[in-house]
This record gives sequence, structure tokens and C-alpha cells, in this order.
Amino acid sequence: MRKQISLFIFLLFAVYSFGQKITVKGVITDESTKDPLPGVNIIVKNTTTGTQTDFDGNYSLANVSAGTVLVYSFVGYQTKEVIVKESTINVVMREDSQQLEEVVIVGYGKQKRKDITGSVSLVSEETLDILKPIDATTALQGTSSGVAVNLSSGAPGAKVNILIRGVSSNTNNQPLTIVDGYEGDLNSINPNDIESITILKDAQAAIYGIKGANGVVLVTTKIGKNNKVPTVKYDTYSAVQQTTRKLKYLNATEYALVLNEAYAASGQALPFANISQLGKGTNWQNQLFNDAMLINHNISLSGGGENVKYYISASRTEQDGIIAKEKSNFIRNNIKLNLGVDISEKLNFSLIANYFTSASQGVDGSLLFNGLNYAPTFGVDEDDTNNFLGIEVVNPLSLLKNTFGENNGNGIEGNFSLNYKPIDGLSITTRLGYKIYNEKQRSFFPTYDYGASKVYNRTQSSVYQFKATSTRVNLETFATYKKTFSEDHNTTFTVGTSVQNDLFDGIYATGFDVPNNSYSFADISLTNLQSDQRSFNTGNGDIRLTAFFARAQYNYKGKYLFSGLIRRDGASVFAKDKRVDNFWSITSGWRISDEDFLKDNETISFLKLRASYGTLGNLVGDNLYRSLLNGEGTYVFDGSLVDGTAQGGLPNPQATWETAEKLDIGLDVNLFDDKLSIVVDYFEETRKDLLIQNFPVSGIFGSGAPGGANPTVNAGSSKNTGAELALNYKVLKTDNTTVNLSYNVTYVKNNVTEVLGGAFVEGGAFAIGNLAPSRMEVGQPIGYFYGLTTDGIFQNQTEVDAHPSQAALGSNITSPGDIRYKDVNNDGVIDFNDRSNIGNPQADFYMGFNISAKYKNWDFTTYLYAEIGKDMVRNFERFLPNVNKPNYYLGRWIGQGTSNSIPRLTNDATNNKLFSDFFVEDASFLRMQNIQIGYNLSEDLLSKVGLSKLRVYTSINNLFTLTKYTGFDPTVNGGAIGAGIDYGTYPSAKQFLLGLNVTF
Amino acid sequence: MKVYNQKIKLGVIFIASLFVLSSCSDDYLDESKIYAEDSESYFNSEADYYNALVGAYDPLQSTFINVLMGEIASNNTLCGGESATDVPGYQQIDDMTHTPVNEQLQSLWSWMYGGVNRAAYIIEFQDKTDFIGKEVYIGEARFLRAYYNFELVKWFGDIPIKPEGRFTLGDEKTVPRSPKAEVYQLIEEDLKYAIANLSYMAPQIGRATKGAAQALLGKVYLFQNKFIEASVVLEDVIQNGPYVLETDYNKIFEFTGENGTGSVFEVQYTDVEGAGFGCLQCSEGNVAVGFQGVRGYQGDLFTSGFSFNVPTLEMVNQFEIGDNRKDVAILDIDAWSTTTGAVFTTGYEHTGFFNRKYIPRKRTANAAGDLNLTNPNNYRAIRFADVLLMAAEAFNRQASPKDDKAKTYLNMVRARAFGNTSNNISVSGQALTDAIYHERRVELIGEGHHFFDLVRTGRGTSISGFNTGKNEVFPIPLQEIQFSQGNWNQNTGY
Repeated sequence: MRKQISLFIFLLFAVYSFGQKITVKGVITDESTKDPLPGVNIIVKNTTTGTQTDFDGNYSLANVSAGTVLVYSFVGYQTKEVIVKESTINVVMREDSQQLEEVVIVGYGKQKRKDITGSVSLVSEETLDILKPIDATTALQGTSSGVAVNLSSGAPGAKVNILIRGVSSNTNNQPLTIVDGYEGDLNSINPNDIESITILKDAQAAIYGIKGANGVVLVTTKIGKNNKVPTVKYDTYSAVQQTTRKLKYLNATEYALVLNEAYAASGQALPFANISQLGKGTNWQNQLFNDAMLINHNISLSGGGENVKYYISASRTEQDGIIAKEKSNFIRNNIKLNLGVDISEKLNFSLIANYFTSASQGVDGSLLFNGLNYAPTFGVDEDDTNNFLGIEVVNPLSLLKNTFGENNGNGIEGNFSLNYKPIDGLSITTRLGYKIYNEKQRSFFPTYDYGASKVYNRTQSSVYQFKATSTRVNLETFATYKKTFSEDHNTTFTVGTSVQNDLFDGIYATGFDVPNNSYSFADISLTNLQSDQRSFNTGNGDIRLTAFFARAQYNYKGKYLFSGLIRRDGASVFAKDKRVDNFWSITSGWRISDEDFLKDNETISFLKLRASYGTLGNLVGDNLYRSLLNGEGTYVFDGSLVDGTAQGGLPNPQATWETAEKLDIGLDVNLFDDKLSIVVDYFEETRKDLLIQNFPVSGIFGSGAPGGANPTVNAGSSKNTGAELALNYKVLKTDNTTVNLSYNVTYVKNNVTEVLGGAFVEGGAFAIGNLAPSRMEVGQPIGYFYGLTTDGIFQNQTEVDAHPSQAALGSNITSPGDIRYKDVNNDGVIDFNDRSNIGNPQADFYMGFNISAKYKNWDFTTYLYAEIGKDMVRNFERFLPNVNKPNYYLGRWIGQGTSNSIPRLTNDATNNKLFSDFFVEDASFLRMQNIQIGYNLSEDLLSKVGLSKLRVYTSINNLFTLTKYTGFDPTVNGGAIGAGIDYGTYPSAKQFLLGLNVTF
Repeated sequence: MKVYNQKIKLGVIFIASLFVLSSCSDDYLDESKIYAEDSESYFNSEADYYNALVGAYDPLQSTFINVLMGEIASNNTLCGGESATDVPGYQQIDDMTHTPVNEQLQSLWSWMYGGVNRAAYIIEFQDKTDFIGKEVYIGEARFLRAYYNFELVKWFGDIPIKPEGRFTLGDEKTVPRSPKAEVYQLIEEDLKYAIANLSYMAPQIGRATKGAAQALLGKVYLFQNKFIEASVVLEDVIQNGPYVLETDYNKIFEFTGENGTGSVFEVQYTDVEGAGFGCLQCSEGNVAVGFQGVRGYQGDLFTSGFSFNVPTLEMVNQFEIGDNRKDVAILDIDAWSTTTGAVFTTGYEHTGFFNRKYIPRKRTANAAGDLNLTNPNNYRAIRFADVLLMAAEAFNRQASPKDDKAKTYLNMVRARAFGNTSNNISVSGQALTDAIYHERRVELIGEGHHFFDLVRTGRGTSISGFNTGKNEVFPIPLQEIQFSQGNWNQNTGY
């Protein structure tokens, strides 16, 4: 009874204050395009009562009291509130230019962009649409600040490396990639299926604990929308590809002249008596490079009903290599099915599935090396039978002819997810992520004689076959509870658990004496398996991970934002007492523009200060604590091989993962009505317990025995310091013209702060017989180049005599025309102690610049990418007397005053070929990644044939690269210690595309 | 109220489920299954001991570097190779300009310690499982440890030793370099155990025998100038062992002569498994053979190689007229090329001569690549001729010499070399000593012994660039000195 009275009083009051209930109708349109907007949410403020606009932007909402407030919201548009005064309310919605309202996936949850307190980069569907990457990873290059992308090679299907805020680890710098909640990879995904890519760059990623230290790439694929008619899209392009560069090498006549000079200088008989008939000879690069095609088809269907939304697509990409396309190519097929079903209002189910197949063929890694070094005087089919070029250089076409191999893979990945919302504000998600990948390889090694004692010679043919299955299963359950207290205190709590199991199971075998020495017969079933040859092997792995995490987010009126999280991780790959650890982070933000003193500021439309700090892990190393009997213990008894057992790598029971401490301070500013947006970040990362593989220890422990290895030890620390800036400027936006500019730049400096025992770790290789060229050492960046410094060329004997002896470098021959090395340590002797830092393979700055413009039906886009302050080592020259040489030798020293940088030519064993800055080049570059012009056919025309969109475009990828570097491709890089050493890497392709987008 | 109850219930269930998961999660980590054997839970059967023993033999194959580099270090040969900077470590040792920074010395150090540890692994677990005949495995393991330690003491002098088993991390800072005498004592103990427990017939060809242990012990005594002890043990093996001199010297170094009647101990190689430069010690073939081959060779009988370790004219001239060993030991490539039409190219320090005993022969079609690194030529580590010459030296150099006995053994070797007895040596005393030294040099050329023979007899200065008091031993690799953090001192002069 009392209840009824109070209700009565309440109603009376309500009627008094708000008057009568009415039905509100209206149409909602876009401010700039004037188009009606379907799917806009309209709710009565502080209630769950609401509706959506239909396909024509119309809505109707009954039983609304005058005086109440209606909230109009739509993804990508600024939310609008209108007080109900009359029954027709037409609303013009303004596109949220800065997408501050955009919902961003941040790991076990979503946040509006304006509420985010960590440092994130976002790559949208539009960017992917324009760049048409074959591997979606390449779309991150230049488009997101703080992210560097390097190709391991330009070969089709080659791995693409992502580096977030620089190199921190000497073992693994690849970020964690999470696709729709499961751990995956970008290279198995059809880029057309991607809706957005979010990159977590700072301590916010601590929610991923043990795997978060290298940053996290979160990929969301398309899943369709409720209440949307089926939309069919067909996209296709085909392209012609060419190499981005060929190197300038000597032609036959130049080569012969240069060789004669070198022989003469050493007092030897001239190898070419008559050079007049030689002409240009064979250009081996022209023999190897070819124009190649690239074709892509993609078709998708998406839409949704009241309770169901779906996205289905199929795609095929075929890419031939710009080198020897018949043996270098890549094919990927994808079939995608994403499905969301609302079982009830509270229960939602979704399925994400991506099936992919890939097939690739690759050429021998030394093909270009041989192409550069093989003499131009040889005919196309001519092998160096007489060992004129030494034992390591062979006819590249013969090498190609004898290269056979293919890799095939197929897999399925995705997840099943169940979401339950039992009560208001609480959401519980359980999901099972999976990835199964089957891989097979076949390589055939025919017998071939490349010439006397060439290292490539094979007298017995063999076929190697490999099959493996990798399986990953991940089960996660997490709950999020959202609650607002006293109107202004907004809180969100998340707790969850994750269990993951990665299994690997492979079998490898080699068979010998392939029938007919032919690839057509290259199968183990047809070969001999000799019992004393170890031709079978298996591999297996089982990695288990468990985690618990909890996060609390709080904001006061959206103005002061805090978030704190903790995660406990366990990993089976470490010793029992070393396998569990906790990670945590705190992030905070202050939306200054919401303060009274800035609220109505004309210039500053948005201003947020962010700060974050936390710890994260980098899971590297597997079973390091165990001393396994996986060494090689094979010997010969009774004339046959006998396999025994032996210890493998030395164990390290103390091994544990790497940990990172990350600090980020950032500022998000929007100016001039959100026309200009600026994001600035300063960051610091200290990476501790760097796991150094094969960490040098004394030889007395026996790691030098066959199959042995030094232990992997947590033996170093490094620090990255840097800053990033991202600018976006909407220059113009009118009915038929939009112009948008964006620019981002990242500066990062790496410094090794500790290496256990004060030692250094070295790696990489330069030429043959040189000391290791790359180092990790305290006070220097990881993987810096360590070698001699040149000080010009000795011009005359007086200069030679005036300089300390260079004999300690190995050769006591020093003549005018030879390189003068600097006495770096000033001890009066030139020896290997005079080596020092002569370069860094990691760029100081990387930056991207983008212009996109639309005029009526035309659109234009260009992307540029640059890396500044990086060095690379020219390591594709083989220092043998008779191999071909780069044409810079034409500018060699030939007498006093002729050159002060390029040494004389001689066959004597001089010190000129030692690793020095003569071989280290500035590899800074600016590349036009993409330039594109598109044309949209008019809608009137299209509607007559039942199409809603048809766009044709032409585009060029990698049109030009400005660089001083003389190797094939300054963008190819990878790794930490040993990065930037160029063995004659497969360059990226220049691609001329013609494409079509159709929407039905 | 109902809703509120439901909330609480849900919350409880959820939190409870988290706890349940939490408690099983650490167990879940333990269940990780990988198919691999752990070194500390091994030695549970005879098969385990056998397998570990095979593993301990394996590093013998890496002694190719000892032989190749030992020969280069001597005055028998020049380094050669492709150019003056081809394998700087070898070039420097040839010129006696080597320093503590030498990749090849570092390899030798760590590969030999690889052998020491694999043998010590068995010795450490020798009491774990009992079975009949175990003492043979332990005997062979101790022979192998002695073999590796002897190589180390020859090259480096004082070295760290650990009689009870393997070295463990941290030992480099606490275990000192034991004086040579102590190292030799351990080697002698290991060999005496092996002699007592092994028989003259190996269970399988390639495994160590009592004779091998005796011959090695004789050599170890000789290196310490313990001539009486050396003569006793060597006499024992000569009289009681099954060895006889192979009549045809040429046959010894061909494939048909492997593990022949005069072979006391032989390191076994094969070419059925491939190898690469990335792990030379992993090759099942004799890497030294490819390195010593004729560069760019095409022709009869042989195949090509990298032209290292080329004999000097001075060495070649050591062969007396009528010595049949010369054409077996030395390939005069120009003469050979003239008679057979073989072609070749020349490398650095080309002398025209090659170490014919160990240059690559033509191979079967089954040979696996890289052919340069997989030559199947066994290394005849201890030949009966070596034993006879060691015995001769031991009898000749002891305080009261038994020169007749010495001459008998010396002349057995010479009679085979010349095919008659008319070249027998009849001198005594120091002249006989010199004759034995000379005989060792020509009989054993190309087999890696000469440098150490020179050093142990105080004749190092006949090597150009040799500094007495320094070059008798090689420097401890610089890294090792650094790892020891002051525990180990560098050898004198380096």
C-alpha cells in the first residue's frame, strides 16, 4: 500500500513536471553528406527505452514525455542530446572527426577513444583498403607511430617483422598478435577481412602479462551488423611487378680491365690477353630478374537480421617472384566465416573461423650473391668448370636450375565465444580460441657438378620431406562489471583467467638417390633409405601457460581516469620455482578540455594528458632449465654409424623470462574544431633479464661438443628511450572535396645497460674469416657494428711510412692505394683493438606521411615511409680475385690523388677486406610506398544496373626509394644482433596495380 | 531481493570457480610432455651406458683440428689455403705469431673439453646401475678422458681437471689450472684402469683396447721423460699385443688399410652423413682431409680440397734415397700432373707438395656433402710403427740405455720403409737418438706428431719464429682467461 502511494505521488509529480506523453518522429541525416543515417540509436536518457533508425534514417519513438532528454548516438558520430519539446525532431549528426567516440578494443574489454589512458595506434579498414597489403603487417608501416615494419626479404610470402618502439630484446622483438581474442598471426589472415588493427604500445598491454612486453597487436575482423541487408562486395586487382633496384656491376670489358690491373699490381700474368672482343658480356641480374604478376580476388557477403549477424568471405592471392618466377611464388587462399547470434537478450554466441591455405616456392638464399659475383665473361649456360672463380661462386642459372622445393600449409583458426549478461552491468565471456596449422615441405637436391670442387656440388641426390602440425588451444573466461556510483563515479571491474596449450608435432626425413635425378620422382617412397644414414627425425613441443588477471577502471565525470591491473602468469617452459610471476600496471588520464577553464575554448577542442607505468613479460626460451640428451653422439663402430646419446645445450635452472618496465607520458590534443589532432608520447622502457642464447661460458663445460650449446642466460638489460608524434590535419571537407594529411614520426634510442660479467655478445658474419661484426655491449645499442675505422687511402709511400704498421691486422703488405686505418685507441699500433662502433642497423627515426584527397568521384592517396639514421653492411661482395665487382671500383685508387675512399686493386692479401666502415653504408631511405588514384562511378548510373558502388583504381607500390645505400633494398632488415648485414637480399617489388571494387 | 540473491550466488560461483582453476593451474603446467631424455635421470641400463659411451667417442672426430693445426705448427709444412687471410688462426700458428685470440685454438680447447665432459659424464654415474661387464664401459670412458686430457695438456700445459666428473657452472672461477704433473697423474690413473679392464680385442672395431691404452700410456710417460716406465709399458704392448707392421706402407693410408694389423688406435670417420661449415665438429668425416686437398683438382685417384698444410721442400728432402715412404707421404703435384694429366689451381704458399696420406680420395656415389668436409679417411692415431719408435726412444734415452733393443725396433721400421735391411742404423748413443728423431719425423709426417716431438725434446727452435720459453705451449684462449675472473693465469709470454 505504501508502495502504491509513493508511486502515485511520483506519477503526479512527473505529470506535473513533464506533461503529456507523445510519439516522437523524425529523420536523422549526416551533416556533411546530407544522407540519411540508418541504425542510429535513440534512447531516452537514463532509461533502456529506445529505438533505431531504419534504412531511410527514420525513427519513431512512442510514449515519450515532453521535457525528457533523447540521446542520439551512432558509431563514428558525435552523440547528441535533445530535449523533447515537439513531436518531430530531425537531427543532423556530425561525424566525430577525431573519432573520440570510437570504441577501441584494449584487451579483455573496450574503451571509447577519449577514455583511453594508454598509448595506442589504430589502423583502420580504409587504410588497409588503400594499401592492399598481401600481408596485413605491411599496412602498419608508416601508418602508425611507434611501429616499424621490416621485411625479412622481398620474396613472395616472406616473413614481415614488426617492431614496436625499437629493439629491446636480442632474442624476440615480435609483438603478440591477438585476432578476435585468439593468439594468431597477421600473415594467415586475408587483409580484406580486417575491420581494424589496434596496437597497444605501453604498460596498458600488461593485461597480456608474460607476452605483452613487445607490444600487442589487436586485430578485429568483420562480423556484419544486425538489421542490415546482405551486402556483397567484390574486390580484385592485378599487378605487374618489377624489382625496385638492380645493382651497378662491371660489364665484361670493364671487368677484364679491372682484373688485368689487379694481376699486374701483383706481378702476375694477365688473365685477359684480348679484351676488345668481350663487349658487355652477360648481365646476370638481367638473367635473374623478371617481370612478375600479382593477382588478388576477394568476395564477401555481410549483413544481419534481428538476432544474427554474419560475414563470409573468400579470397585468393597469387604472387610471382621478381626473381625466377617459376621457382619463386606464393599463393594464399582464405575462407572466412564470422557469425554472431543473440540466443536471448542476455546470451550471445559468436563464431570466428578463418581457413587458410598457402603454397610457396623459394629460391636459394645465395642466388643473388652468385648473380652478383659470377663473372660477366661467362656465357649464360657456362659453368665455371675450371675453378676460375674459386669454390664458392657458381653460375646462378645453374643454381636456379637445381633448386627445387615447395612449402604448403593449411590451417584453421578462430574462436567460439559465449557472452552472458545475467544482470545489468555484468558481462561474462567464455571463449575457446584455436589454431591448427599443418605444414609440409619438400626439397629436392639433385646431383650436379658446378665445376671442380665447388661447395654446391652434389654427387648424391636427396629429397627432404617434412610434415608438422602445430596446435594452439586457449580457453579464457572473464567477467566485466560496470557500475556508476552517485552519477559521477564510473567504475569497471574485470577479472579473468586464461589457459593456453601450444603443441608441436613434426616428422622429418631424407631419402637418397632420387630416381632419374628428377623432381618428378622426388619422394621418399622412391628413394633409398640407407640404414646407416640418420635420415629420420621427429620434433615435438608442449608449452603450457596459465594466467589470472584483474583490472579496475575508474573515472570521475570522464575527467579524471585511472586504471590499475594485475596479472599472474605461469609458464611450463621454466623450472618449477621460476615459472610463476606477477605483472601489473597503472594508467591514468586527465581530460583537461573538460575542465571549466578550457570547456569553451575556441582553439582547443580536446586535450588529454596520459601517463602509464607497469611491468610486462617477454616469453622467450623453452625448457632452458632441463639438461636434455639431445646432443649429437654419433660415432662409427664396425664401419657403420652408431647413434649414442649426449647432452645438448647446457641447462640453466635459473632461467626465466624477460621483463620490461614501461613508462609513457602522452598528450592528445585536438585543435580547431578537431581539424587538427596531435598525439605526442614520451616513452622509456627498461628491459631486464634479457635472455641471451648461447651465452658465452667457459669451454670446460663441454658445450663445444657436437650438438652442444652454451646455456641461455638472463644476462643483460637494455633501455629504450624515445618519443613519437602523430599529426592528422583535415585540410578541407566540403560536399565534394576532402583533403586529409597525416604525418607521424618516432625517435627511439636503444642502449644496452648491462651484460653479465661485463662481457659482450657478438654475432653476425662478414665475408669469410672476419671477426664477428655485430655486438651487444654495455653503452651501445643492441647489434651495433663493431669494426675498423678507415682514414682514407694511403696516397704514397711516405704516408705509409708515417703511419703505424698495420701488420697486426694479418697482412704485412701495405702499399700506396691501400686503406689507412685509424689508431682508434691511440696506442701507436693498428690492430683489432682499434675496432669500435661504426654503425647501427636500427634507425634513429622512422616516419610516415600520408595525403588522401577526394574530389567528386575521384580519390587520390599517397603514403610515404622513411627511416633515418640507420646503417647497413654491404656483404654481397666476395673477395676473390676473379669474381665480378660493383662498379664503384671504376673509381678506385690508381695513383696519387685519384681516390681517397676506394682502395687499389690487387691480388695481394692486403688488409683492405677487413670489416671496416668502408663496408658500412648509410641506409637511411625515403620510399613512396603507395600512390593511388581511384574513380567512383556515379550512383545514378550504378543503380540502374543494381550496383551500389563501383570503383576503379590504379596504384603503384614502392614507386621510388631515395637512399644512398648501394645494396638492393635498405628496407630489408630483421633480427637484433646481426641485423642489417646484406648478403644480397631479395629486394622488394615495385608493383603497378589496376583494381576494381564493386558493392552490390 | 530475488535479484540480489541471484547476484550473490553468481558472484560466489564465479569466484569459487576462479579458485578451483587457480589451484589446478600449477599442476597443469607440470603435465607438459615432451619426448626427451633428461641427463640427470639417465644410466638406468647397460644400453644407457653404451649410448653415452658412443657419445663420448664422438668428439674424437673433432681431433682433426689437433692433427691439422699440429702439423701446421711444426716445420714440416706451411699453412697454405686460399690466401694469407684464409683461416687466420692457422696462418698465425704457422708463423708462430698466434695470440690468445685465435678461433681455432678456442675450438680445440672447447672441443677437447667436450670430450672430457662426455667421458666424465659416464665416470660420474659409474655406480648408478650394475650389470656384468660394466668395467669395460668405464675402462673405455677413462681411456677417452685420458686421450682428451692428454691433447689438452700437450697444447696448453697446465689445465683445469675434475677427477670426479663433469665441470659445472662456476667451476671456472674455483677450479685452478692443475700443474702438468697432476694432469699427467690423472691421465696415468685413467689409463692404468683401462689397461686393467680392457682386452686386446675390441668388442667393436673402433673402440679402445688394452693395447691402445698401453701405447697411449707409453706416450704419456715419454712426454714426461719417464723413459723406464715408458719402455716397460711399450715393451709389454710390443710383446703381448696383437700388432704387426703392415708390410706395405702405402696400404696403410688407403681405405683398404683402415683398422689394419698395425693400427693400435684409429679415429673412425665416414662420409655417409652430410656436414657443413657451421659445425665442423659435428661432421662424421675427417675435415682435415678436405682442407689438405689439392685446390681445384681434377684428375685421377684424388679429389679437390682447400690446399692447406702443404709440405715444404726442406721436409720432402728429409726422405733418404730409396725410402719408399716418400711417394706415399708426399704428392708432388707437378710431377703427378705431368704423368696423369690432372689439373689443379694453386693456393697461398703453394709449394707443389701435398700431404698425400690425408688428401681426399675419389669417393663412392653414397658420399654426402659438403664433400670437402666429409672425407671418410680414418685418422691412424697410434700406429704400431709409432709404438716401435717410442719404445726405441725410451730404451735409448733411459739412464742406462738399452741401445740394442732401441736399434731393433728402429730398424724394424726402417726395414719396411726401404724394403731391405741394408739401410739399418748401427750407431748408438746420441747419434742413435738423432736417428730415432729423424725416423719419427719421416715415418709420421702429416700425422700431427712432429711439433710435439720437437717441443718435448727441446728442439722447438728448428721451427721458424719459435720462441723458447713461450711457444712450447699455446695460449689459453683469451675468453677462458676472462671467464675465470682471475682464477687462471695466461701461459708465459702470451
